[in-house]
Amino acid sequence: MRRNTRYGFGAVAVSLALALSACGTTDTDGEGGDDAEGLTASIGIMGALSGGNASIVIPSVNGAKLALEEWSAEHKDFKITLQEFDTEGDPAKATPAATKMATDENFLGVIGGAFSGETRATKGIFADAGLTMISQSATATDLTLEEPSPVFHRVIGYDEIQGAAVGKYIAEVLGAKKVYVVDDSTTYGQPLADKVRATLGSAVAGSDKTQEKQTDFSAVVSKIKTAQPDAIFYGGYAAEAGPFLKQLRDAGVQAPFVGGDGLYGADFPKAAGEASEGAIVTCPCLPSEEAGGSFGADYEAKFGEKPGAYAAEGYDAMTIFLKAFEDGATTREEVEEFVDNYEGEGLTKTYKFDEKGDVAESNVVVWAYKVQDGALVADQEIALG
Amino acid sequence: MCGTFLDTPSEFGKNYMDFNNLFDHLGAHTLDGLTKGSIYALVALGYTLVYGVLKLINFAHSEVFMVGTWAVLGTYTVLGVGSGSGLGMVLLATVVALFVAALASASVALAVERIAYRPLRKKNAPPLIFLITAIGCSMVLVEVFGHVLRYFFGPPFGRAAVSVPSPIQTTTLFEVGGVGFTNVQLLVIVGAVVMMVVLDTFVNRTRLGRGVRAVAQDPDTAALMGVNQDRVIMLIFVLGGAMAGVAALLFTIRFDLTKFDIGFLIGVKAFTAAVLGGIGNLRGALVGGLLLGVVEIYSSALFESRWEDVTAFIVLVLVLMFRPSGILGESLGKARA
Repeated sequence: MRRNTRYGFGAVAVSLALALSACGTTDTDGEGGDDAEGLTASIGIMGALSGGNASIVIPSVNGAKLALEEWSAEHKDFKITLQEFDTEGDPAKATPAATKMATDENFLGVIGGAFSGETRATKGIFADAGLTMISQSATATDLTLEEPSPVFHRVIGYDEIQGAAVGKYIAEVLGAKKVYVVDDSTTYGQPLADKVRATLGSAVAGSDKTQEKQTDFSAVVSKIKTAQPDAIFYGGYAAEAGPFLKQLRDAGVQAPFVGGDGLYGADFPKAAGEASEGAIVTCPCLPSEEAGGSFGADYEAKFGEKPGAYAAEGYDAMTIFLKAFEDGATTREEVEEFVDNYEGEGLTKTYKFDEKGDVAESNVVVWAYKVQDGALVADQEIALG
Repeated sequence: MCGTFLDTPSEFGKNYMDFNNLFDHLGAHTLDGLTKGSIYALVALGYTLVYGVLKLINFAHSEVFMVGTWAVLGTYTVLGVGSGSGLGMVLLATVVALFVAALASASVALAVERIAYRPLRKKNAPPLIFLITAIGCSMVLVEVFGHVLRYFFGPPFGRAAVSVPSPIQTTTLFEVGGVGFTNVQLLVIVGAVVMMVVLDTFVNRTRLGRGVRAVAQDPDTAALMGVNQDRVIMLIFVLGGAMAGVAALLFTIRFDLTKFDIGFLIGVKAFTAAVLGGIGNLRGALVGGLLLGVVEIYSSALFESRWEDVTAFIVLVLVLMFRPSGILGESLGKARA
């Protein structure tokens, strides 16, 4: 009994001592802390950093890294870190990553999700946590128009705009009178192709729906051969577009092949091989050589390659967060408020988010790229409206 | 033709069944279907051989096929062939690729047998354990190509689809009744049928083949008669693997592509073809494979392409309802014993 009491006193003494010393540290820190506006925080970036579609995500991560590095060099009192979360583009893998960011108070913003599926799956989690999202490349229309989220913003135009632009490009630039439209039945490919169909109207000579992981396209190729279209549009991703285009060319169909931003990136020419030469890929992303300043050169110097898909958009998304910190935002609420009211000029376009989180349609840019020698080369901007 | 069929956008919804397309081009669609089915049939042989002898569904077989496609890519890369190569080089590359792919696939099949199945067999593990092990082997092989090899060697390994050079240019050789036969289609169909005939002759006419049939029929009696069961089992894995390797070569010639998970869908379809024809029956694999390929292409032509799997499995269910053991019936041993 007595022994226990003595230990009890001892414990109290130890904890008192600890508490005192803890106070002491805080004090010295406060005195020495002349970096009153300095801030330690994390920004998360979430997307397919590995997997079959990584080539359309990694450049945007690099863009964000570049933005942070340049900014940090000028703002040494801030300690902002960029943390990467690899989701492989899979909504199921994105959810735990989102929960981790949402529950860690250090995170004041999220760049992403890179794809629409993972964004749809996680924006509820971020909304509950009040954590601001700025997506560099999630283009599904419903993310803002049908189910807007208070924390979601994106620096690119959505699929409806791209679909309309593609339709216009096929009709006016390619001058096609008969177009065959194929989509992969996914939540990305189908709405995009539907918008292209609607824009082209009676110029649609035929239509088919394929599926993911398909390798044999002989039936649809045979239909296209019969329809003899002037152009073919495919709404889908590179893994299927590759064999599809190859089989088209093998069957002697020489009509121009147009795809959406799902084909943007190195994976498409890789999967289609020589058949991809001359294929056209549209993307609501600005070619790096069109981006202002020394972005292209800086990027190449740092990462050893030309900026790829959405690199400048990743840079812009990061820059908006950094400007929020510069403006004195230190909490999630302040960041959200800053981004909601943000107006400014980025590398790719003028930013001002509407209440649903979109940039104004007049500021959206859609570009047509052409495959030349196995690489995507900017061809021309597609005039909107 | 299609243009008049779909003159106004409002008719999209009505475009559910395109009989015109199917019947106007029945010959071309049949040829496409037979080409597709030939590859299913060759892969199906691996399932059927192993099932016939061990009553085991070797789910790792789809990855045995996948390894074959990478072996073809590797051969072409080492030999440096492409679309511009001369005839002699193309022939050489194709023959070398045939042997390399068959060897690679057979080695992987054998390795799976030795590492994963034999230790279990020695311990008399229940069938369910084999099934789980088979799925496990399949996943390991997929990740080796999708992740591990990329880690050590970088691209082309990884998760993206990779284009395989196509030394054989697709050309139409001749036309019969408006149906153009291309060299690639003929090569795939003839190649597959020749391999099937060779295998069928081997199993039915040779001494080693008799051993395979004996073990399939009654392993214990076969052992008493002096048949080395382990050697027979190794033999069927090698044979099935080699067939998958040949299928991989024909697949890359036709589709010019590989991917770390390319085996999955083909594996599922080939397994379906084996069941459709009668699993354990070599000739059933051919019948099942060709039928499945043709049904898929017909349904793609008639409906949209995305309906092909649905139609294929409806046909499978219907066939099994009336012939539960498949079109030609099961059993590797009994049919010819």
